[in-house]
Amino acid sequence: MATPGGPRPGNAPPNYNPNALANNMQNLQINQQQSSNVGGTAHRPPNTSPFGQQPPPFTGSRPGPIPPGVFARGPMPPSNPAQTTLPPNMVPTRPTGPPPGSRPPPFASRPPPPGALPSPITGTAAPPNSGAGPRPGPFSFSPLTSGPSAPPQMSSHGQVSNGPPAFGPGMAQSGPRFPPAMGGMPRPSGGPPQSPPVLSSGPSSQPLQVRPSFGSPPAGVSSSIGQLAPPFSTPSQAPPFSAPSPAPPFSASPQNMPPPPGSSPFSPPVPGVLHSSGSPFGMQTWPPQQQQQQQVAPPPLIPGAMQKQQMFGMPPGQPPLPNQSMSLGQTGQSKIDPNQIPRLSTSSSVILHETRHDNQANPPPPATSEYIVKDTGNCSPRYIRCTINQIPCTVDLLSTSAMQLALLVQPLALPHPSEEPIQVVDFGESGPVRCSRCKGYINPFMKFIDQGRRFICNFCGFTDETPRDYHCNLGPDGRRRDADERPELCRGTVEFIASKEYMVREPMPAVFFFLIDVSMNAIQTGATAAACSAISQVISDLPEGPRTMVGIATFDSTIHFYNLKRALQQPLMLIVPDVQDVYTPLESDVIVQLAECRQHLEILLESIPTMFQNNRIADSAFGAAVKAAFLAMKNTGGKLLVFQSVLPSTGIGSLSAREADGRSNISAGEKEAHKLLQPVDKTLKTMAIEFAEYQVCVDLFITTQTYVDIASLSVVPKTTGGQVYYYYPFSALSDAAKLYNDLRWNVMRPQGFEAVMRVRCSQGIQVQEYSGNFCKRIPTDVDLPAIDCDKTIMVSLKHDDKLQEGSECAFQCALLYTTVYGQRRIRVSTLSLPCTNMLSNLFRSADLDTQFACILKQAANEIPSGPLAQVRDQATNACINILYSYRKFCATVSSSGQLILPEALKLLPLYTLALLKSNGLRTDGRIDDRSFWMNYVSPLPTPLVIPLVYPRMIAIHELDEKELELDDSIIPTSIPLSSEHISDDGIYLLENGQDCLIYVGASVQQNVLQQLFGISSVEEISNQFILEQYDNQLSKKLNAIVNEIRRQRCSYLRLKLCKKGDSSGMMFFSYMVEDKTPSGLSYVEYLIHIHRQIQSKMT
Amino acid sequence: MNQEVEWAEPSKDESRRCELRHPDLRCLHPLKTPPRCHATSPYSPLRCRNCRSVISPFSIVDFSSINKIWICSFCLQRNHFPPHYQSISEQNLPAELFPQYTTIEYETSAVHEKAQAGSSNVFLFVVDTCVIEEELGFLKSALLQVLGMVPENCLIGLITFGTYVHVHELGFGQLPKVHVFKGTKEVTKDQLLEQMGFFTKRPRPTTGVIAGVRDGLSQESVARFLLPASDCEFVLNSILEELQKDPWPVPSDQRAARCTGTALSLAAHLLGVCVPGSGARIMAFLGGPSTEGPGAIVSKNLSEPIRSHKDLDKDSVPHYHKAVKFYEALSKQLVHQGHVLDVFACALDQVGVAELKVAIEKTGGLVVLAESFGHSVFKDSLRRVFQSGDNDLGLSSNGIFEINCSKDIKIQGIIGPCASLDKKGPLCSETVIGQGNTTAWKLCGLDKTTSLCIIFDVIKKENPDIVAQSANNQFFFQFLTYYQHGSGQMRLRATTLSRRWVAGPGIKEDLISGFDQEAAAVVMARQVSFKMETEAEFDPIRWLDKSLIHICSQFGEYQKDSPSSFSLSLDYQYFHSSCSIYAVHNSSSDFFMAHVNPLGSMGQVKNLQLSGRHAGDFQFMNGAGLLLCHQSMFGSEDWGRTGTREVVGPCLVGGFDPLPALTLPHLPLVFNNSLMTAYFRMILNSENIANSVVMIQPSLISYSFQSGPEPALLDVASIAADRILLLDSYFTIVVFHGSTIAQWRKAGYHELPEHQAFAHLLQAPRDDADAIIRERFPVPRLVICDQHGSQARFLLAKLNPSATYNSDGVAPGGDIIFTDDVSFEVFLDHLQRLAVQ
Repeated sequence: MATPGGPRPGNAPPNYNPNALANNMQNLQINQQQSSNVGGTAHRPPNTSPFGQQPPPFTGSRPGPIPPGVFARGPMPPSNPAQTTLPPNMVPTRPTGPPPGSRPPPFASRPPPPGALPSPITGTAAPPNSGAGPRPGPFSFSPLTSGPSAPPQMSSHGQVSNGPPAFGPGMAQSGPRFPPAMGGMPRPSGGPPQSPPVLSSGPSSQPLQVRPSFGSPPAGVSSSIGQLAPPFSTPSQAPPFSAPSPAPPFSASPQNMPPPPGSSPFSPPVPGVLHSSGSPFGMQTWPPQQQQQQQVAPPPLIPGAMQKQQMFGMPPGQPPLPNQSMSLGQTGQSKIDPNQIPRLSTSSSVILHETRHDNQANPPPPATSEYIVKDTGNCSPRYIRCTINQIPCTVDLLSTSAMQLALLVQPLALPHPSEEPIQVVDFGESGPVRCSRCKGYINPFMKFIDQGRRFICNFCGFTDETPRDYHCNLGPDGRRRDADERPELCRGTVEFIASKEYMVREPMPAVFFFLIDVSMNAIQTGATAAACSAISQVISDLPEGPRTMVGIATFDSTIHFYNLKRALQQPLMLIVPDVQDVYTPLESDVIVQLAECRQHLEILLESIPTMFQNNRIADSAFGAAVKAAFLAMKNTGGKLLVFQSVLPSTGIGSLSAREADGRSNISAGEKEAHKLLQPVDKTLKTMAIEFAEYQVCVDLFITTQTYVDIASLSVVPKTTGGQVYYYYPFSALSDAAKLYNDLRWNVMRPQGFEAVMRVRCSQGIQVQEYSGNFCKRIPTDVDLPAIDCDKTIMVSLKHDDKLQEGSECAFQCALLYTTVYGQRRIRVSTLSLPCTNMLSNLFRSADLDTQFACILKQAANEIPSGPLAQVRDQATNACINILYSYRKFCATVSSSGQLILPEALKLLPLYTLALLKSNGLRTDGRIDDRSFWMNYVSPLPTPLVIPLVYPRMIAIHELDEKELELDDSIIPTSIPLSSEHISDDGIYLLENGQDCLIYVGASVQQNVLQQLFGISSVEEISNQFILEQYDNQLSKKLNAIVNEIRRQRCSYLRLKLCKKGDSSGMMFFSYMVEDKTPSGLSYVEYLIHIHRQIQSKMT
Repeated sequence: MNQEVEWAEPSKDESRRCELRHPDLRCLHPLKTPPRCHATSPYSPLRCRNCRSVISPFSIVDFSSINKIWICSFCLQRNHFPPHYQSISEQNLPAELFPQYTTIEYETSAVHEKAQAGSSNVFLFVVDTCVIEEELGFLKSALLQVLGMVPENCLIGLITFGTYVHVHELGFGQLPKVHVFKGTKEVTKDQLLEQMGFFTKRPRPTTGVIAGVRDGLSQESVARFLLPASDCEFVLNSILEELQKDPWPVPSDQRAARCTGTALSLAAHLLGVCVPGSGARIMAFLGGPSTEGPGAIVSKNLSEPIRSHKDLDKDSVPHYHKAVKFYEALSKQLVHQGHVLDVFACALDQVGVAELKVAIEKTGGLVVLAESFGHSVFKDSLRRVFQSGDNDLGLSSNGIFEINCSKDIKIQGIIGPCASLDKKGPLCSETVIGQGNTTAWKLCGLDKTTSLCIIFDVIKKENPDIVAQSANNQFFFQFLTYYQHGSGQMRLRATTLSRRWVAGPGIKEDLISGFDQEAAAVVMARQVSFKMETEAEFDPIRWLDKSLIHICSQFGEYQKDSPSSFSLSLDYQYFHSSCSIYAVHNSSSDFFMAHVNPLGSMGQVKNLQLSGRHAGDFQFMNGAGLLLCHQSMFGSEDWGRTGTREVVGPCLVGGFDPLPALTLPHLPLVFNNSLMTAYFRMILNSENIANSVVMIQPSLISYSFQSGPEPALLDVASIAADRILLLDSYFTIVVFHGSTIAQWRKAGYHELPEHQAFAHLLQAPRDDADAIIRERFPVPRLVICDQHGSQARFLLAKLNPSATYNSDGVAPGGDIIFTDDVSFEVFLDHLQRLAVQ
């Protein structure tokens, strides 16, 4: 959790700088009014501490490496200082700051951080207040709070700590302090602290009327900064819980908080809130710790310390936790300061993350941040993330929290280049040591007893004999003496070489079969040529060696195979004309070793577009072609890459344009509209299951300009572990490069074939369901004809028994697969998490990214089965229920006028809102777009979920100016997705991991246009856009940025140039999820909506 | 047109000749020497406006009136000449009125049209790839060789098949392109149109029949598959060179998956789609039994043996009826389209000709059987098909054959390579034999030797006097044949014949003198063959015997119950015919017993069957002697007087039921197959009389220093140490060196200058054999053997066993035959005894 906070802050601040600052200012002022009295300082400290706490841990991890650098951003703040918003900056710095401290030192080192932290905090606090205020509010507050103590430092810190922004700030500050407190801090406090920013609706925000009601009061309360901050920070701080100062809803409480760390529930300003909340939690859960922490903390700011400590404590218990509670002002009057609302902030700093500290699970950094993992027992969060980093002991506790318990498993996730590679263990013919009852694989949490002669399985509890060759004596600490030398006993993730018993046949070769649509449309739109060219280029990227086999076929209303056998002078075209009852024309020779057919392939790929140049066949027999190709691959299995351009209109599994012309929108009146999102019949599904059975994985590249019924088509990739690529509307000019890169990544990325996956859990928990792109034939296993580093599987869990508090619950994902080089391996990732009986712990240790990913995936799963409105309601309800639970059981003290958000989940409303406005859930999308969205989401890795709904937007026109400020981070800080932040003379880049829109304002300077795009006026912008690099700094930077984003996302991105006033502009603005749109609420409105819902539930 | 060329063209009258086996016919000479004269007229024929018959020399022309008039000889309708005939007179006759031109050929007006449409002959090769590499190599080289011989304007297509059917798209320039169809599934014509993309360039017509360029298809879409030989030679060459054995693996306990039926069906569809109504041949090269798809004759599992002819008779063949039904449908389709199916079956195993037969026969296709694609029988036969020059086959196609005849006669049907067009009319008899109930037949493929056996019926008159009174006792036949000449032209050939009714006293002599025993033998053979196929309980031997006895008692001179008094006191010709009978018996020594026993002791069924078994063994050992020949005559008691139908002639029994070899167990069972049966029947049904007679009665010529080449008795007694015998049994030609000759040859005397005579002696039979081989199709197998050599069985099998191991006193240098069969003398004894009863 903390980490998330950390990163966010980092980003946030930057964002704030621009307009945000001003707004913040206002807010702050408002807040100040309200909260200031209470004691801005007080608030600040608390806030800071909480945040600080959280951040530190995380940041620690990231920063480890870069922290300093990150902080460098500090400068930013300075520049902004005036704005006071700086806090954001502050925040960032903090996180980093803390991180370093917290991180490396985790424990020991902390001391230093504290020092640093405090200063930052203070520094930030004071000046920045306003600046930070906006989002960071909380953080900023914290700064504020700390401010007192370290005002001077403030500035410096502020600079230093970028990350924290909203949370970050608070976090950061607290972090620092915590560090000091560290001792107790880190782990100590379970979850309590998190309660963060409260959006105090309080009195109507005077100044910030922007969003009237809620925001205002809080704002008013705290000093400008404080105020702003408060909203956020407060909530997060959970002051509510702290209850101490009931009052408080708003600023008041926060302020109060500081002083009485625990008491200041509301620290109107964030800080206050945080503190309060923190304390409450702390109180409840970790009272002692808190105290300790407090004690520790004291140094920095007493109040703040307290809170911070708690916060830290929390994190330790469960990672990051601080709550981000936003106190929404009272409904009516209160106005929420938009700038104080929790916002996403990402830190560009790299976090160092150790998976376990002191034999306790370390909460993972946010999925969206850049981090480097050191596997110290638990597997890297890249492989398995749990929605909650502490496991509720009972099902009741879980249902009370309204959160879901699920794992997101990405067994082949791409590691960070700086991480240690996964160790490969070879047990020889006997295969890996496993529990004889549950078949769980040996892992660091298997407990060896009886001088090592036996071991107890951490899943089923069975006691096994240690195999003789594997015996080893135990050391004084009860561990095997060789534990540190054996990867399987000290690493969360290892790979075993599979023995014979894991093979039903020889490991399959790497087979790549390309199937290309050559029907009239495909030819005429250039899709065929693009596909051929992409394939031709990709051939050289295929794995080398005799085990790589390739086949190719084209199809229109018939299917054309090619005999690539070397002996032939030319490839021989074999046409399968019967598309109702297909077959493969040859047993062999259609799929040939790559080394044998390179030449033929090249010739063929070159000539296919011309060969079919005059093709007048408009029909496309997709289903039949896929089936035929499958038959050709049946003996081996492999990857089938299909390039499809039109609606399959003939042969097996042909489809009709269910959606009248492929464009009609779904109006509310169409009750059965969702049926269009279901496959039209079972034909393709049945086929797909057969494919999966024979280990054939289908990837579908849809290069079309019309409706193709993705809902039906996608069943095939989905069931076979493949994925859908969608190029709509396809442009031969601008999409060819993406097609190539997508294809290239598809074949080059780390991947495995003929895989089977199973997740095992400790007694008391069991797997309820798997969801993702795979085929499931038996309930316990997941069959994956192919799996790659980009595929994630959601595993929802359920209790079947009570867990023991204080014990740990382990999850193990075992993936048996064949590498592209034909080695059979078992990748085993084990994650062991503590169990808890404390609700507050759950909230503190909630993993927002993961939780949201689950909500999103579930929503996607449900879209086809019910009316859209229902799905939308469910999403909102999920959010409300969680917040309500938190409000009811963990923040009881706070006034009903406050919207209190757990720090860890403070962005949940924002994400939920964004989800409602996403392609999948909006009410006006094309059917195909929605179907694609559903499909895209299904295997989507956690780190890409957030950007999908809440894309990253950066300003490009300012690149030059920022040049000096940015050193190590190529990508500038992002801007909130609100049209307020879009100016007419700016150019903005927005990316969601899939598409990349570059919006050019109407009055952009000509020279900028010239530099970036080589055009002289906005009017020259055309639909088809290729980013070129010109010989100037600006252009180079833009290219560098785009490339960096591509690298991060492992996606080439579809670039599109948008301008105001046409459909492209509309599209761009449709991503401004915080705006009010005809079909959706603005962010503030949505918060109010949620707040009301919670209120009504409370009564 | 070049008259000379047309003259040189062999007449098809021979085919007619055998039709005219009507017992009532007295016009013997015309029959024996059918009008060989014919002319070709470059204009359309004049036709009677009533019955549509063509003007002929028999038409009565009235030159006197101003409006010249001709009277149809069939319906007596008076017709005016068209204006351009105004100049005719008795001194200025058009060719069709020349008395000697009873056969005349017209080039119809459709010629140019057709020629413009480019519908020259089409050859669609259907090649089996389920053969071992070596065989495939032979086949490829044979095909490659033939490709160079195909006339440039002929269209060529290629289909290869194994487990799947590959339709090669020869007109696709960039890559070799093949349409692959599943062997197990029958494709309809509509599906083919759809799936092969015939409508991509041009929208599919919403209604009507779609076929050919004129009916909805674009030239380009057709030209993808059928290309002029000159355009596709290169492509074809490269395809054939790269042609691989069917790549699908064949488990060791299974037969290769070979979808002959599907391939042929696709070929038929393809031609039907591309060139309906113009001459086209599907040339199928088969290397084994069909095991996949609709035409399968046996399952893939090797544990299931291929059906034998006996199995067929017992109706215990699981696939047979299905396959036959399939091929019947195929033949209908081909007939409808006017296309021919030729089969070149080269395998030790059977290929399913028994099932395929119907399609081949009805379309008038060629059939060649050989053991291997490397065998000269196959290679030379194939070459003959495309050979031009004197020995060409004169392949023509897409013929329609019509008969007009005087109203006293009705047509029962045709036995031969044709298919009914179901054109019913007053001329159709109620009794149907063969392809009946019509007056028009389709001859999809026809060549120089094609012959049809037409069976007529004489209308029963209530009052025989009326017959006698009919005008000068004459009646007429007119045979009209429209066909597409090898050059692509459409032609009409009209043959008109006249015969006389006989009646009253002397009728017997008249009939005897008008009897053509050779033709009669062939007719009987065809009829028996036909009956055996169509009548389930038909007992050919008994039927033949009865017929023979009947005719002997009708025409022989004898005293009742005194066998020794029996003599066939017919004129020379008939006597000769008797020899023919004799010879026929000889031709299949194995038959004697079967024949004699029933004759001698009718009803002793047990005996009969046993002998039949022996017969079978011998037949198959001979490899060619499958057909049982048996001359017989039969007639109704009141024939002649009442005008009831009479058929006279020797008869031939095909498809003798060969049971597993008992006496010669070492013979491979593969000979015990229904393929040979079908093969023989088919050839018999389409060959001309001269060749058919050879099939029935092999000819034996003896060469020695004592005399020049002279016919020898087809008897084991003809064998002598110092003789060379040349046996022509149609499918096999045997050059048999007596033991002395063989020794000399081995000593190399013929290479010595002083023994040139011997060299000539050796060479003479070879030259004669070559001459036969050159003219015959399918090319016969040439066996050169020595007395006592293992190959000598080819000769011995055909000889009358006058000397067996039971005989005493074999002439020195002679030979004996190891058989229990009785000799012809014994047979004749029995016959005489029965005839006089």
